[in-house]
Amino acid sequence: MLINFILNHNPVSVDAPADITLLALLRDHFKLTGTKEACEVGECGACSVLLDGELANSCLVAAPSVMGRDVVTIEGIHAEDGGPNDLQRNFIEKGAVQCGFCIPGMVIAGEALLAIKSEPSRLEIREALAGNLCRCTGYMQIVDAIETTAKGRAEKPHPEKREN
Amino acid sequence: MTNLKFVGHPAQRVDALDKVMGKTKYVGDMSLPGMLYARTLRSELPHARIVKLDTSPALKVPGVVAVVTSADFVNHSNFGFPISDMYMLAYEKVRYVGEGIASVAAETPEAALEGVNAIICEMEPLPAVFDMAHALDPDAPQIGPDRSDGKHPNYIGHYPVYKGNPQEKLPQCDVVVDQNYETVMQEHAYLETEGGLAIPTPEGGVVVYLSCQSPFIPRNDLCKVLGLPADRVRVIVPPVGGSFGGKDDLNYQTAGQVAALALKAKRPVRMTFSREESIIASYKRGSMRMNIKLGADQDGTLRACEFRSLYDSGAYSSQSPFTSWRASIHAMGAYRYEDCTVDIDTVYTNTGYAGAYRGFGNTEVCSGIEQAIDEMADALKMDPLEFRLKNCLKVGDVTPHGQLLSESVGLSDCLLAVRKMSDWDRKRKEFANQSPSSEKRRGVGVSALFHGTSLGAEGLDEATATIEIHADNQVTLTSGLTDYGTGARTVYTLIAAEILGIQPERIKVHNPDTNTAKDSGPTVASRTTILAGNSVRVAAQNLLQNLDWAAADLLKCDVYQVHRVSEDYIGPSKEPVSWDIVVKHAREMGLVLSAFGRWSAPQIHWDEEKGTGTPYFAYHFGAQVAEVEVDLKTGHTDVINIWAVHDIGKVIFPQGAYGQLYGGISHGLGYGLYEDLDYQNGYAQSINFDTYLIPTAMDMPEIQGGFVEASFSAGPFGAKNIAEPAMVPTAPAILNAIANATGRRIRKLPANLERVMLGKELTKKGSPFSCKVALKIT
Ligand code: FES
Ligand code: FES
Repeated sequence: MLINFILNHNPVSVDAPADITLLALLRDHFKLTGTKEACEVGECGACSVLLDGELANSCLVAAPSVMGRDVVTIEGIHAEDGGPNDLQRNFIEKGAVQCGFCIPGMVIAGEALLAIKSEPSRLEIREALAGNLCRCTGYMQIVDAIETTAKGRAEKPHPEKREN
Repeated sequence: MTNLKFVGHPAQRVDALDKVMGKTKYVGDMSLPGMLYARTLRSELPHARIVKLDTSPALKVPGVVAVVTSADFVNHSNFGFPISDMYMLAYEKVRYVGEGIASVAAETPEAALEGVNAIICEMEPLPAVFDMAHALDPDAPQIGPDRSDGKHPNYIGHYPVYKGNPQEKLPQCDVVVDQNYETVMQEHAYLETEGGLAIPTPEGGVVVYLSCQSPFIPRNDLCKVLGLPADRVRVIVPPVGGSFGGKDDLNYQTAGQVAALALKAKRPVRMTFSREESIIASYKRGSMRMNIKLGADQDGTLRACEFRSLYDSGAYSSQSPFTSWRASIHAMGAYRYEDCTVDIDTVYTNTGYAGAYRGFGNTEVCSGIEQAIDEMADALKMDPLEFRLKNCLKVGDVTPHGQLLSESVGLSDCLLAVRKMSDWDRKRKEFANQSPSSEKRRGVGVSALFHGTSLGAEGLDEATATIEIHADNQVTLTSGLTDYGTGARTVYTLIAAEILGIQPERIKVHNPDTNTAKDSGPTVASRTTILAGNSVRVAAQNLLQNLDWAAADLLKCDVYQVHRVSEDYIGPSKEPVSWDIVVKHAREMGLVLSAFGRWSAPQIHWDEEKGTGTPYFAYHFGAQVAEVEVDLKTGHTDVINIWAVHDIGKVIFPQGAYGQLYGGISHGLGYGLYEDLDYQNGYAQSINFDTYLIPTAMDMPEIQGGFVEASFSAGPFGAKNIAEPAMVPTAPAILNAIANATGRRIRKLPANLERVMLGKELTKKGSPFSCKVALKIT
């Protein structure tokens, strides 16, 4: 079937089977491999995307259901020049990245939180990450990175937007 | 070393940028034109003879291109080290649920699965052993390979440490503790599942991109089972999505399967695992049963330790001979004893199988001995931290193995640091006065550890590195040891930058590749910083010497008169010349701009019969304190705080070192509180993250970490190691805290709700059905 939606800020139209997940659509049809598969049962968050601005596990979303909606994957998150945005830079600075497999999902979860809460507490950050598993980092430096980004965005008159 | 510019300073991980942008390509993200998808038929029975295996129906399935079985390999695909008991695909029989039997390559993943389901595989069930206590019964069904030495075929080995005679000493001690402790199997739960991509080469060989730790092992295995010379098999390690010891044997089988399929189909073949397949097929941390007897005098002096244990390796020996050996070396903990013996026996069963996992035996024994030490302190009415301080190893002590510790023993400092950071003395007093009727009770517990660095007497211990300055003045480094998420490449970069005096950005570290790197042994045992770090240091020093000659020639002075200010060289004339000009001049002089570095670990030896020797050339030390709140109504344990201070010799890459510490603690917290890859009659009871729970961001407390730098003279800039030992003391610290909070001791890990509340386990329902379904459909 033909699925039309907004993917990383651009309208797209794709002919795909109706019985696949958004995760498979992204990885197999758009070759956007930044969105990872690690459980396919909605438990790990490696497949996180923003669906109409909200955090979603793409392995639990039927591909046809994104018709007319807005999907942002890790490939759609960056600064204006295409380099890392402030959140991504803070992940690097704080040492929040180890094997990196969970990291696209963590960045997406961080953006989803910062979109609705400008100055979350560390506990609120942890709550927001509770659906995203990381086996490498113990989460400390990931929480640091999101916390620092929140402070940075609150201080700046024109915070770096994620969607650019 | 003074004034270090890069080593020990905050740095950026060299591979972090691609990872935060989602650009990193793991095996499962790679695809090639015409690539086939592979899938493996796996055993649904824990122990069975393969009566009939007919793959021809699979080849009739539309889309299926090739099928392989053990018959497609040399010597039935036999491999394995140190015991060759494994096959790339099962030969004659299967020994655990999930064992690979035949592999299919097809145009689509769906066709590959259909092909697998079409294979006719008739099995005759064999009696099985699921309880390690019965593995060596005279009439126990044979699981292990035939052996000629008259020993039971289910017996893998005996691992002793012998000093004196604790059996005689124990009755002379004022207080004796005699307890049993038990650990269960733990799943690595790397977020990226197993996978490999094989590409046939024009000369009849194969290139395999393999998510693994030690590329030379599968390269050599592939040569053996495919009958190919070393120059026809190339193994490249792409970015690895976590491993923790877990991406060895099973993924070597994946390599064998995709390589054989690619050679047969003459097309690229990729295999990736679903989570269910990963958990069912992969090896785990093995389970262990321990009996520990400790003897001490009323004044708090530990005198004797007698440690006996049985370790379950499951269906294959994998790394268990080494795991058990490491366990034996660390079983008595980091303490002085007059008399101390350790006896560990390791056996085969049909309960999955056990292999390497972070801590490698020490994690298991530490959970036992560190509880026993606490129980002894209790019996002596001594503060457990004070008791450890009194008895722990210090410089000048001789370990129970007979090794004199002449340097780099920072354990007392670690203990003193966590005592202060955690406000230990006040909390112990305060928690002792909690109202007995309160439902939520707090407790603090401490645990200490030592952990031998690198392989120890497990094997030849050396590593090599090469370094080269290219035409564009980019510096490249190669090492045979892998960075599977640990940050090792950043460590190499910082060491080379420090020695060469250039910005880390100038340096690029290649992915490990058996064609470009030299075999440096396995990337295991937290040996990378010392071994590979030292070889990088040596290589960089060799390269530096050539640049110094060039600089002296350019500055018209002697080499000793040249010195460096940031990247510039300065001679007596005080006119600086830049690094790039020196490099150019070196080229003009005809000096080579590449160098090689080899570093061999100091000589050590171990007498396997007498149980004495020098097992490791250096030890990591550490101490952790956990604070918990236990809800007596629900049994829920909340870890509120963890303080962790480890002696790692020298911090090279701070964010990386803290990351290893925090990450290790998360594995330890899971191990202590809820991780239990339970098997019933050979079937895994949890096969995905909905039932196998690993710590989330909500489960992990804020961790206060710190490092003691008791410099190790042979380490690069004094460094030892961190990756594995970070997790080792966490579980016993939590168990000791639960005992402090509740007065109840849980001697079997994990301390899950029912064990805390009921002091016993609820029965579990087995589900062979879910395992079978998962192997057929997901
Ligand atoms: S793959 Fe979607 S939540 Fe795990
Ligand atoms: S960095 Fe490896 S899983 Fe998070």
